[in-house]
This record gives sequence, C-alpha cells and structure tokens, in this order.
Amino acid sequence: MTGRGLRVGRSSRSSRVVPWRRPAAPGGAWRLYRHALSGCRRPVLVLAAWSLVEGVPGALSGHLLGLAVDRGFAAGRTGEGVFWLALFGAVAVLGALGARRVFAGLGDVVEPLRDALVTAVTRGVLVRGTGGGRLPEGAVVARLTRHVEVVRDVTGGLLVQARSLVVTAVAAVVGLVVVARELAWFVVPPLVFAIGLFVALLPSLVRRQQEVVFADERAAEAAATVLTGFRDVVACGARQQAAGQVVAEVDAQERTAVRLASASALREVVVAVGGYLPLALVLVVAPGLVAAGRMSAGAVVAAVAYLTTGVQPALRSLVQVVGSAAVRLVVTTRRLAEVSVPKPVAETREPSGISGASGFSASFRASGISGTSGPCGAVVVQPPSSPLSPPEVSVRGLTFRWGPRAEPVIRDLDLDLPPGEHLALVGPSGIGKSTVVRLLTGLLPVERGEVLVGGVRVDQVDQRALRRAVALIPQEAYVFGGTVRENLALLAPGTDDASLLRSVAEVGAQSIVDRLGGLDGSLDHGGGTLSAGERQLLAAARVHASAAGLVILDEATSHLDPRAEERVEEAFVRRGGTLVVVAHRLSSAMRARRVLLLDGDGALVGRHDELRARSSLYAHLVDAWHTDVPAPGMVRS
Amino acid sequence: MPANRADRLLWRTACRSPGWLVSLGGVSVVGAVAALLLPDAVARAVDAALAVGDAAAAWSTLVLAVLLVAADGVGELAQAHCAASGTAWLRRRLTRHLMALEMREHRRFAPGDMVSRLSGDAAEAGGVGPLCVQLLTALVVSLGAVVALALLDWWLAVVFLVSVPVALRLAGTHLRRTNDDVAAYQRLSGELSARLLDAVRGVRTIEAAGAVEREVGRVLRPLPALAEAGRGMWRSQAVLVWRAGLLLPAVEVAVLTTAGMGVSSGRMSVGDLVAAAGYVALGMTAIRYGPHLTRLARARAAAARLLAVLDVPTRAGGGRPAPPGAGRIVLCGVSVHGERGEPLLSSVDLVVPEGAMVAVVGRSGSGKSTLAAVVAGLLEPDRGQVLLDGVPLRDLRSDGMGALVACAFERPTLLGATVADAIAYGCDVSSRPSPEALRSAAAAAQVDDVIARLPRGMDTPMDAVPLSGGEAQRFGLARALAREARVLVLDDAMSSVDAATEARLTHAVTSSLPGRTRVVVTHRLTTAARADLVLWLDGGRVRGYAPHHDLWCEPDYRSVFAVP
Repeated sequence: MTGRGLRVGRSSRSSRVVPWRRPAAPGGAWRLYRHALSGCRRPVLVLAAWSLVEGVPGALSGHLLGLAVDRGFAAGRTGEGVFWLALFGAVAVLGALGARRVFAGLGDVVEPLRDALVTAVTRGVLVRGTGGGRLPEGAVVARLTRHVEVVRDVTGGLLVQARSLVVTAVAAVVGLVVVARELAWFVVPPLVFAIGLFVALLPSLVRRQQEVVFADERAAEAAATVLTGFRDVVACGARQQAAGQVVAEVDAQERTAVRLASASALREVVVAVGGYLPLALVLVVAPGLVAAGRMSAGAVVAAVAYLTTGVQPALRSLVQVVGSAAVRLVVTTRRLAEVSVPKPVAETREPSGISGASGFSASFRASGISGTSGPCGAVVVQPPSSPLSPPEVSVRGLTFRWGPRAEPVIRDLDLDLPPGEHLALVGPSGIGKSTVVRLLTGLLPVERGEVLVGGVRVDQVDQRALRRAVALIPQEAYVFGGTVRENLALLAPGTDDASLLRSVAEVGAQSIVDRLGGLDGSLDHGGGTLSAGERQLLAAARVHASAAGLVILDEATSHLDPRAEERVEEAFVRRGGTLVVVAHRLSSAMRARRVLLLDGDGALVGRHDELRARSSLYAHLVDAWHTDVPAPGMVRS
Repeated sequence: MPANRADRLLWRTACRSPGWLVSLGGVSVVGAVAALLLPDAVARAVDAALAVGDAAAAWSTLVLAVLLVAADGVGELAQAHCAASGTAWLRRRLTRHLMALEMREHRRFAPGDMVSRLSGDAAEAGGVGPLCVQLLTALVVSLGAVVALALLDWWLAVVFLVSVPVALRLAGTHLRRTNDDVAAYQRLSGELSARLLDAVRGVRTIEAAGAVEREVGRVLRPLPALAEAGRGMWRSQAVLVWRAGLLLPAVEVAVLTTAGMGVSSGRMSVGDLVAAAGYVALGMTAIRYGPHLTRLARARAAAARLLAVLDVPTRAGGGRPAPPGAGRIVLCGVSVHGERGEPLLSSVDLVVPEGAMVAVVGRSGSGKSTLAAVVAGLLEPDRGQVLLDGVPLRDLRSDGMGALVACAFERPTLLGATVADAIAYGCDVSSRPSPEALRSAAAAAQVDDVIARLPRGMDTPMDAVPLSGGEAQRFGLARALAREARVLVLDDAMSSVDAATEARLTHAVTSSLPGRTRVVVTHRLTTAARADLVLWLDGGRVRGYAPHHDLWCEPDYRSVFAVP
C-alpha cells in the first residue's frame, strides 16, 4: 500500500502478498456489513420488540415518581406514595426482563453476522490467491480472524448498549412530553441539535480512529520485523538504526492517540447541549408554569427525573459508546472489506465465443470427464489412474513482464506440448520458470501472444474443465488438517480407496501413509509432524490419483532426495498424459524427452544432448551439476 | 516511591507527563465537586419552582453543568496525553533495550511475544496514571454522594448503605459464567483459524485446481458449532444482565421510599426527594468502576512482564575504534555452550591469515554456524576470545562492527523499505554505498537480473518483490558485499541457488574479492575445493584445517559431501 510510510523490512521466509491492502472504498465496508446482516431480519424484529419492553421503565418511571409525589407523599398519603414507588420497582423488573430477552436473542443476530463475515473473508483470501506473488503470512491471517471477532463483539456491544441507550432516551423524551407537553419545546430542539452535532463530528472521529489503528499496526509491524531479523540487524551493525525506526513509529503512534483524544473531547459539547441545556431551561421556565397552574409539583419532579436519570446519562453514554465502539466497528469492517468476497465465486466461467464450446471442452465431454454413459447406458466412472486424454497446448509469441519498465520475464516464446509430452523447464533460479507455468495454465493473464489449449485461447476455455484437466503441484505442498483420505482425494473427491492406495504406492509414499495409520489416519494442521519432503510426496500422490491429463510439477519434488524424486517422476510417466517438470535438479531434465531452457534473453527447446551442444549456458549448467555430484563410488568407498 | 519494582516502574510511567497528570487531577476534583453539587442545585431549583420562587437556582444548575462538561472534556484530553506519553515512554525504552541485547539473550524471547509486550503490555501499563485518577475520583464521588444523602436526611444514607450490599448480593448470586461455552468457542475459533491458515499455505494448489468454493466449505466446517457456542454465551450473559439491571432500581426504590416518607412528614422538601434520586445514581459510581480494579491488576502484571525484559543485561560493548590491519582473525580456545549446556564448540584454536578464504565444512550439527557467528561477532564465546587484527571483538564499538565484518546467511531477513535500502541496510548516511556500488554488489551476487525485472528496479518497495529462497539469499549476499568490510562471513549463504548460479557466485567470492578475509560455511565440494584452507569441524571440534586436496584422502572427510 502506498503512502502508508515506512516499512522497515520483511523476513525472506514469511512474506506477504503484494496487492493486498488496497484502500477500500468506504461503501465497501457498509456493503459487506449489510450483506452480513441481510439474513437476520426476523431476529432483528424480535430484538426490536423486546427493546420496547425494555424501554417501559424509561417511559413510565418519571411519571410514577411524579404520581408518588403528587398523590402520595406531597399530599400526606404515604401509603399511596409507597404504592406508586412499588409500581416503579415493578416496571423496572419488567424492563430488566425485556433486557434479558434481548440478550438471549442477540445470538441470532450476532452469530449469523460472524458466520457471514468469516465466510466472506475466507473466500476473499482464497480467491485472491497469490496474485503470482508471495503467500500471505500467518500473521495476516491471524489479524483477519481477530478483526472478525472485533466486529462480532462490537456489534453485540452496540446492540446491547447503544440500542438500550437509544431506547432509554426515546422513552424518557416520550414520557416527558406526555407528562408535560409544554416542556417539549425546551427539550426536543436542543436534543436534536446535539445529535446533529454529534453526527457531524463522526467522520473526523472515524478518520482519527483509523489513523490510530494504522499507526498501531505499523508500529507492531516495524517491531516485528526488526525483532524477527535481529541477527541481521546485528550483523549489519544496525542496532541503532533499527531501534530508531521502531521509535519513530512509536512516536507517530503517540501523536495519533493524542489527536484522537482532542477530537473525542469535543463530544462533551454534545452532552452539554443535549443533556444539560434542556434541564436548565426546564428549571428556568417551571416557576412560571407552576404559578400559572399549568404544571403540578409531580410534573416538575417527573420532568426533572426524565431529564436527569433518562436523557442525560443515556446521551452521555451513547456519545461515548458510539464515539469509540461504532468508530472501531467502521474501521475494522473497512479492513475486512478490503479482503472479503461476500458472494460465491463462479469457478465455471462460461466460455466466451463459439470456439470455446467446441474444441477443447467438447473433446473433454467426449472423453468422459465425470462419468458419462457407456455403450450399454451404464455410467462409466473414469478410473482415476488412467488420466483423461491430455489437451494439446501450444504457445505463440508469448511475452510477459511484471511492469512497464521491467525487463520481460519471457519474450516471444513459441512452444508445443503434444499429448503425452514429457518436458523439463530448466534455467537459473529467478529467471521466471514458475511465471511461464502460470501463463501456460491460464493462472496469469497473457500480456502479448497467445496460449491455446485444445485450440482455444486459454482465457476462453471452460474454467472448470481446464482446472480438472490440468494439475499444478507447487513447491509448497498443500496438506491440511483432516484424514489422509480427504487430503489425497482433494482433486478427485469420491475416488475409491484402492485407487488412492495405488497412487500412494506408485509415488513411493507408502511408508508415510502407513505411519499415519492408513487412509483413515489423520493429519494435523499444517502437516504437523511431516517433513517438507513427506508433504511433497502426499501432494504428488494426490495429483497422481486425479484425472488430470496435463500434470505440472513446479519444483514439486525439491525437498526429496534424488532417488525419491526420480521415483515420483517415473510414476507420472507410467501414468500417461502430458508431464511438465520445472527442474530443481538437472537430473529431471536428463529424464525428460525435451527440455525448455530459459536464460533471460530467450528460450531454447530441444533434447538434452542437443541443448548441450547448442547452448553454452546449458553446457555450463550440466558441468556445474556434474562437478557437484561426486560419483557414488568415490564417496561411499 | 512504591517498594515493589513493578509498581516503581508504573510510578515512573505515570510521572512521564506531570503537567497533564496534575491537570487531570485538577479537573477531576472540579468535575467531582460539580457532579456532587448538581443534584442539590436541581433540588433547590425544583423547590423554587414549586414555591413560585425566582429562577436563580436554575441558572446555578446551568453553571454547574457547564463546569462539569468542561471538566470532562479537559479530563479526556489530559487522560489521553498521560496514557499516550506513558505508553510511548515504555515502548521506546523497551525497544532500545531489546535492540541492545546480546544475541544469546535475545533468543530467549520469541519475536511474537516481544511484539505483544511492546504493543499490549506497554499500553496496559502506560495508562496506569489516568486509571488511578479515575478510580480515586469514582471513590470520592461515591463517598461524597453518601455524605450528601446523610446531609439531606441521615436515614437516606443508612438505607442506601444497607440496600447496596443486599442488592449486590441479589445481582451477584449468578455471576458464575458457564465456562463450557466460552471454552468451546475459543477452541472452535482456533480450529477455524488453523484451517484457514492451512488453506492459505496451499493457496497455489487451490488456485490451480479451481477449488476455491470447495475449500471455503472445508475451512468453514466448524462454523455451525461455533455459532451454537456463541449463542450459548449470549444466553448465559442474559441471565447476568437481568440481575445486574435490577441493582439500581432496587436501591432507588428503597431510598426514594425513605425520602417520600420524609416528604410526608414534612422533614424534607420535594426538591430533596429529587436530589436523593440524583445522589443514589452518583453513589453507585464506585460500583460501576469496580471492573476497573481488574485493569489495575492487569497493569501491574504488564509492568512485571516488561521488567522481565528490562532486567536482562544489555551488551557491554567496548569503545575501541577499528584497529589498522587487513583482517587477520585469531581464535584462542573458543568454547560455546548451547542452551542446555551442551557443547557447540569445544576449545577451538584457529588463525585465519589476512585475505585468505577458509571453507568451513562438516556434517549438520558439527558447529559450523556457531563458528561463523563467533567469527562475525554475533555470538560471544563462553570461553576464549576472538581477535580481529589483534583486538578482541568484544572490545570493539558495536556499531563499527558492520564496517569490519559483513555476513550473509542461509535465510537472510531483508530489512529496508526498497531494494536499494535493503542492500545498503545498516550503513549510516556517511558510509552509504553509492548507487554504482550497490549495482556492482548486486551484479556480484548474481541478483542484478532479478532487479532488472522488477517494476521499478532498485527503487521497488521490498513489499512488492516476490522472492524465492534462492533470490533472498542472493539479496543477502549483495548486502554483505556492498559494505567493503575486511572480513566476509558466509553462513551457507549460497545453498538455495541452482548449480550454475552457485558456480558464478563461488567464482565471485573466491576470485573477485581480493584482499578480503572470507570464512565460508558450505556443503558443496566445489566451494571447498576452491578455498585456500578448509576447516573441517566434527562435533564442535576441529577435525582438520588444511587445503582441500590434503584432506581429500580421508574417507570421513569425503563422506561429509555425500549426497543425502
């Protein structure tokens, strides 16, 4: 996010997605919140109904007090006075009962709200994906979950407090106007004016509260960065510099807190105008009204009681609560709106253009992607170990760069991947091998040139069919908390156990699955005790068991030893279909039928020995590889 | 000054902005007095109205109200100033202290824990001054209200004091929370976060499989149970609320009945009854502030947690400037123990001649990284010493070290706002490398082609730089090369790059850095073969220190380089 000041740094391991923190339009927050509340109209009505009950004491208490004075104590009839006060108490019990029902009903509003927000955030995080960049770090996820809880708590708190305060204030005003109509002119206009003033103050409160939140986040981030990278700070002789950067953020934090307070202090004016001015006015005009016989002693007592125990404290608390909690709600919801996607995403993008409907996807339907009718009319379930007929992929004049001033990652690439091809992608690290793979699979939009899958442009292909036909295994394996079976059948839900176990055995993950307790064994979150290599093996078994006809291993075996890596690659060759391997070791290239060499200036395609003769870079890579792999006899003598 | 050390820290925190604290105290007194006088003024005004008196009493109500509001407004400002300056003082102190710690001490604290002390505990402890003022004011107002009731009619005070504990008891009998729902809620919401984190880590797979909605469903599976636990929490709170809601009315009815009887018997005026209602509400102020007492307890606990860090001694640090020399390193009897006392290095003696390149090899756990850290001055040995050009490292000025010894690591943390800042990180303004120097360091580290592909080259914010492990390593290497230090320590700093790049890097390190002493931890045969000397470590001891080809005849040495 630009304009958000200094970011001191970042660990190379934990990194964040680039285009994440876009400043959301204020409307986005409101839309998200309204969407999240849209399902709870009925509970809200129930809440409103009980609120009326809760408001009864507010409306009646002053009047009852006045009656106790007028008909009871002031008239010397103590018994009647006590009776009216007892009624005052009974009404208070009724109000408390209403408050109790309100609380019991809160869950029906607040919990669905939280559900909707969690869903929107989860979807948003997953839809946004990586944007081709780095993964969002755990801290970001943790912060999002915390934000959702804040919205839940604050909404609950507002419904409890602000709602009850509004009810109290309105009830008191209504009670007062009924008891002494003449006083309405001295009470209602200042109150309305005060509320207007408060509404006018709100935007600046929201702004300053937002500054506080940002300043807090920046300071925490700055501290986290230098504390995580303390070794590097020390090694760079930058202790003072690092401390200085954090202290600068702390100073900024202090300034924003004070700025917020000076905006908040203005809220007292609202209390003065709305809470105390009516009281003073009523007391000033009361003698005249009493003298004219238009008000009784009880009415004066009632009016003062409504103002001092109803309107004034309610307004004071309301201004406090709304000024902090509601402002916090707005700010937090805005942060959530930046990453949320409230409605389900359409993963079945309809092909645009006639060609899309024929060609590739049509050929897919013919090949029976999801169990078509066989010759005898019986449903033929595609055996997962025999993949779909792989699509033909061809690339023409493909060029891609990350920014207008940047060097292209890939320039004018031509490439054909006939069905059954086994291609290795080779090149120095950082050259853009993963970018090429993402372009080939339509995960990154093509800038210039075209990528055709089954003769159709990759952005016009039916997305669901494409994602089923193509399986990409990235370097970091996705292993989640659940059973081994769930993990393995991720890409082909419903695959039978025998096929899953066959794939497990093929890629050499048998011992891991056995250790985990078979398919019913469970995995901890984040893969728990599994090593990075073991996770990669499970990910390989999962894709092996899927129906994908084109399999891409994007350094997917980087944590395996060379022998295990070879076994995985051979398993995919035996499986059939097209195989593309982004090579982590050169041995992957030697096993491939053809090699695509990226060297920054251009790309070369050919067989291993051809490239060795044609490209000095490739020859260099091969030499470097050989010198570093001592012959086994030499070492293990 | 309080006797307890945590309390002493809180005391000093509260005194950070004495001016604001005193004004907070002042306006609190004004506010409390105005609040206590207000019900009486209202009562007099009511009496005046009923007796067809004049309106002067009404105006005094207005004056008191204005005073009260002004006091609250100024109080809020003073409170924020006190809390903000106290908090910031603690944060600055803690930050400087953390940054001055010895590496070894620093490792005792997890970064996340430190951040939470910096943000959470410092804020908790920083607001202690205004908190105490608030609590005191509430107490004074409550006591004042009881006195005011007694002045109206001493029976009122008696009834108030008797009815409050009874009402509290009534409200408090069910104050036990149903902890089951709370525990379930916390557990399920943790489960949800863990699932989301799983999915986020696998987002590339999910994206490639087009399985977003399915995985959203998987992540959200605990949601219904979570919502049920949440509803349970609200239901149990409802019971609490209903009892608490009866507290004030119960006391009010008791006191007002007493006052009403006073009115009937002519002892009290109608205005007095109105005043009694006002003082009952004020008298309950202290009860409303009851929960704030837990904040005070939390502030003390937070201060203790801050002290736990502030008590760790910082690096002593010598004051000697850089000695003349060309980077000769001598280790005399250097031993380092691990956290549980296990030896990591055992009496290592070593001389690295100026300008030499020494490769450090050995199996994992043999002490290579520890040795690199000791040579780089990152780790103080438990015994023995390290001399750089004849001067013990620990005697050198800590901020001058960066110019003498430069390090690169297997997993560097890149600090700095932009690419250029990250490479020049730690160089003060006077010695910051020129743009050309940065570019040539980047070229030597084989990272210039990566920078060329970035949207804004050297000025690209680090946030926007997608880095693989190998790229991060090369940025770290560029950072080490950019400062023209006498000694270069590379701790496995080229392990994640491909073979061809590594060959070029090794070439850069072995041949294009004449005159610099280099200590290179490595697993690779080629690097060891090109070094002037190989230091072979085994179990924290020096197993051999000789050129590569002299050691090669030993089978144990060759097995160090075996492919895993």
